[in-house]
Amino acid sequence: MVDQLPNLGREKEMLQEMGFDSIDALFADVPMGVRMNEDLPLPDAQSEEELLADAKRLLGSNVALGDKVSFLGAGLYRNFVPSCVFQLITRGEFLTSYTPYQPEVSQGMLQAMWEFQSLISELIAMPVTNLSLYDGSTAAAEAITCAVRVHNRKAEQKNTVYISELTPPDRCSVIHNYCQGAGIEIKKLRHHENGLINLDDVANAAGSCAVYVEQPNPLGIIDGGYTALKEIIGEHTALIVAIQPISLGLVEAPGNYGADIVVGEGQPLGSPITAGGPIYGIFGCTKAYLRLMPGRIVGRSIDVDGKEAYCLTLSTREQHIRRHRATSNICTNETLIALMGAMHMSLLGPEGLEELAIRNMAACTYAKQKLASIPGLSIVHEDQSHFNEFAIEVPDTGKNCLTYLEEKGIIGGFDLSWWYPDQPNRLLLTFTDQTSGEDIEHLAIGLESWVNEVVA
Amino acid sequence: MSHLFDHHGAPGKGYAQPKPLLAGSELSLPDNLVRKNLPRWPRLSEPEMVRHYTWLSKRNFGIDTGFYPLGSCTMKHNPRVNEVIAQLPGIADIHPHQPEHQIQGLLSIYYEMQEMLSVCAGMDAVTLQPVAGAQGEFTAVRCFQEYFRHRGEHQRTKVIVPDSAHGTNPASAAMAGFEIIEIPSKVDGRIDLEALRAVVGDDTAAMMITNPNTLGLFEHDIAEASELVHGVGGLMYYDGANFNAILGRTSPGLMGFDAVHYNLHKTFSQPHGGGGPGSGPIGVKEHLAPFLPTPIVSRREANESEQEQAVDEFWYTWHEPEHTIGKVQQWHGNAGAIIRCWAYYRRYGKELRTMSEHAVLNANYLRHAIHREAKSAGVDHMFVDGAETVVAKHEFTLSLGPAKETLGISAMDVAKGLLDMGYMAPTVYFPLVVPECMMIEPTETESKDTLDTFAEDFAKVLQVDAETLHNAPITTPVRRVDEVYAARNLCLHHPFDE
Repeated sequence: MVDQLPNLGREKEMLQEMGFDSIDALFADVPMGVRMNEDLPLPDAQSEEELLADAKRLLGSNVALGDKVSFLGAGLYRNFVPSCVFQLITRGEFLTSYTPYQPEVSQGMLQAMWEFQSLISELIAMPVTNLSLYDGSTAAAEAITCAVRVHNRKAEQKNTVYISELTPPDRCSVIHNYCQGAGIEIKKLRHHENGLINLDDVANAAGSCAVYVEQPNPLGIIDGGYTALKEIIGEHTALIVAIQPISLGLVEAPGNYGADIVVGEGQPLGSPITAGGPIYGIFGCTKAYLRLMPGRIVGRSIDVDGKEAYCLTLSTREQHIRRHRATSNICTNETLIALMGAMHMSLLGPEGLEELAIRNMAACTYAKQKLASIPGLSIVHEDQSHFNEFAIEVPDTGKNCLTYLEEKGIIGGFDLSWWYPDQPNRLLLTFTDQTSGEDIEHLAIGLESWVNEVVA
Repeated sequence: MSHLFDHHGAPGKGYAQPKPLLAGSELSLPDNLVRKNLPRWPRLSEPEMVRHYTWLSKRNFGIDTGFYPLGSCTMKHNPRVNEVIAQLPGIADIHPHQPEHQIQGLLSIYYEMQEMLSVCAGMDAVTLQPVAGAQGEFTAVRCFQEYFRHRGEHQRTKVIVPDSAHGTNPASAAMAGFEIIEIPSKVDGRIDLEALRAVVGDDTAAMMITNPNTLGLFEHDIAEASELVHGVGGLMYYDGANFNAILGRTSPGLMGFDAVHYNLHKTFSQPHGGGGPGSGPIGVKEHLAPFLPTPIVSRREANESEQEQAVDEFWYTWHEPEHTIGKVQQWHGNAGAIIRCWAYYRRYGKELRTMSEHAVLNANYLRHAIHREAKSAGVDHMFVDGAETVVAKHEFTLSLGPAKETLGISAMDVAKGLLDMGYMAPTVYFPLVVPECMMIEPTETESKDTLDTFAEDFAKVLQVDAETLHNAPITTPVRRVDEVYAARNLCLHHPFDE
């Protein structure tokens, strides 16, 4: 029986007052030809108790990352988020509010999002940020279309952008879907054998609308060549850099080496992985992109008494006003998850972020040292600086390696043949603040015994 | 006031963290990429942080705070058990790249949601990947585009949108590269079949429309409109923002639509979270199914070796549609939202129809009660129905045009007056076809008593003099906010000393 409706049992009373004799009368305007005459073929309603039991049974049958020793990342990272973040976002005033169309009664969320913008601005060193896009991939795609809107008129290579060839295919696919409507051609930028960006190839991108690269790159490499990119591509080509936010506790912010737009998967700050959503996409840019950028923006203002107040601003870019001329169709975004990010950032403080970055990179570096000594296995791009993941090459398929490791209780990373079909023998291993020395020990033993079996 | 950036704790390490496996000095970065200055973030201890955000929350209005009749947004109660379920490690601590055999329970829920949404809308296939209603629209028109390319119908470049449509419709179609043809609606906001007939042709790709429309009226000519568009080879798109009105009573499939998006954050109670997250799955008829984003979940009977991990003897797998458009979000959509909506639907099951019936019952009752109370207070001359109709669906519109003309009281004034009475204001100035529009959607989770009290208070606001209403609100944390000042004096982040 349904228990969520306060007016169950009061239907007759309400109908009578309106002068109707049945609920059917309220649907009299639905033409006979389109009426649904049968009951929905769905199960019986459940009580909360029955629902909880089912949810625990079904979700409990999944293997959670925490059930095993996990080295799976590849774009989403298992970082610790303090308990009070989860407690605070269940406050109904935040959780059950809508987009702040009435600023007088939405100051809490508006100020929180203005503070979020301030925190992200500082993190990435950009003067302008919005209050989130859907995820890192849509942020990348929106950054590219935004750059084309800004630069196409003066571009020598019209409607053309260049993206790193390492960009994961799933992300490329999102970028393609967003770009094809605007007729944008996507060309690839090559990387050297050593994993670093090919700066000679980047020179070909000068005069295009945008260059898109990731730092650390999809193989975990912190690429020192990026500081040369802006000078090579010039003023009229946007440099878009996607970041892993925690890395910025150690790695220079892209805004300080010439980036015009900075995007990224915000998830490691504040949010669990949750099978890939809801998470939040970071988007920040220089003032040159402000009026053609996507997404909601909060501004600080005053009320009629001159008192400090916050409201949505620059809304004339948006779909509810500009309709088909809007800079993006985005309406609902990921505000609540961005709020989790803001809460996490405010608990970390500057030095806490640095510490968190060190823990991630230390686990990765420690693992690199451990695994380097296993005969028959090699670390790809071993000489490069890796933030929290690196690739290894194994003497059989990565797939077989993962199957073996799983039997030992290890989720052994990401099979890179999913991204790069010509690399069947490579795994991407991820280390976060949740990775212990014992975990790495366990991985090393598992890999070594597998290599011994395979080679024998 | 509490300001996050006013907290200047002593430089430290933030909250206590375990020791790193190696010291910072043992890590090597390219010299030119060592961060020179850390972000100038504030430093708060946990007690300060908790108090700051609790203070902020008290300056925010949610459904939990009070009645939230924001038209078009379906602000229904968000059951709390859904939040508990979404925090279970079997969803929160799952990685989208985990192999299928580790996530059979999750895949079974995805499959159940695909099936449930299909039957509710009369569609044949569903993708759960789009993460918002607007992204659902974009995904569907991308599928249309590939469908026509596949058929060699490259001339279909135009998408028809009524002028009363949500702004996302034209924005989404334009993003996919379509040209937008806007057609006028009739005075009641309904489709003008003559206007439609005049624009359909060989170049028509699709028509995008919501039903009930944005005035809360059922489009009784919908079957004819579908016939017109299909007659020239175009496709029909159903904007599911108003799906809460019709579930179990009719369906987009029965009305002739080829595709539909569902706003899980409206109809299926995913909390709006101050602007998101949402979830915007789409359903399509069979001819469009091969173009859906990848992957979707399919199932078969589990074989013997799979029994141990199988859920209810089925085996679930990811499946790539034959001519897929690829991905619109990098992962598997907003899985956490999908789990919440699954939990929501399970508590109704086949009685989902009752949910819609009560949404429509409440909207009609509130419309009746507002007229009743206004009449008894002698203020019924100040507004008229946005459209003449015997019944509304899940929402209805009022025009404050008469109040504006005679007393200079605008819809915005009334909205701000309602804030002073402790309510969230209805949607104002949308749809544009209704002058001084107020769009009211109570949803099914409000009691008759709440509706009666709101109707009385609405009449009370209309009795307030114009001068006082121009100055409303006065009881809120701040008074009317100067949006022009915000745009002219852009301050988008903490200014530090600059």
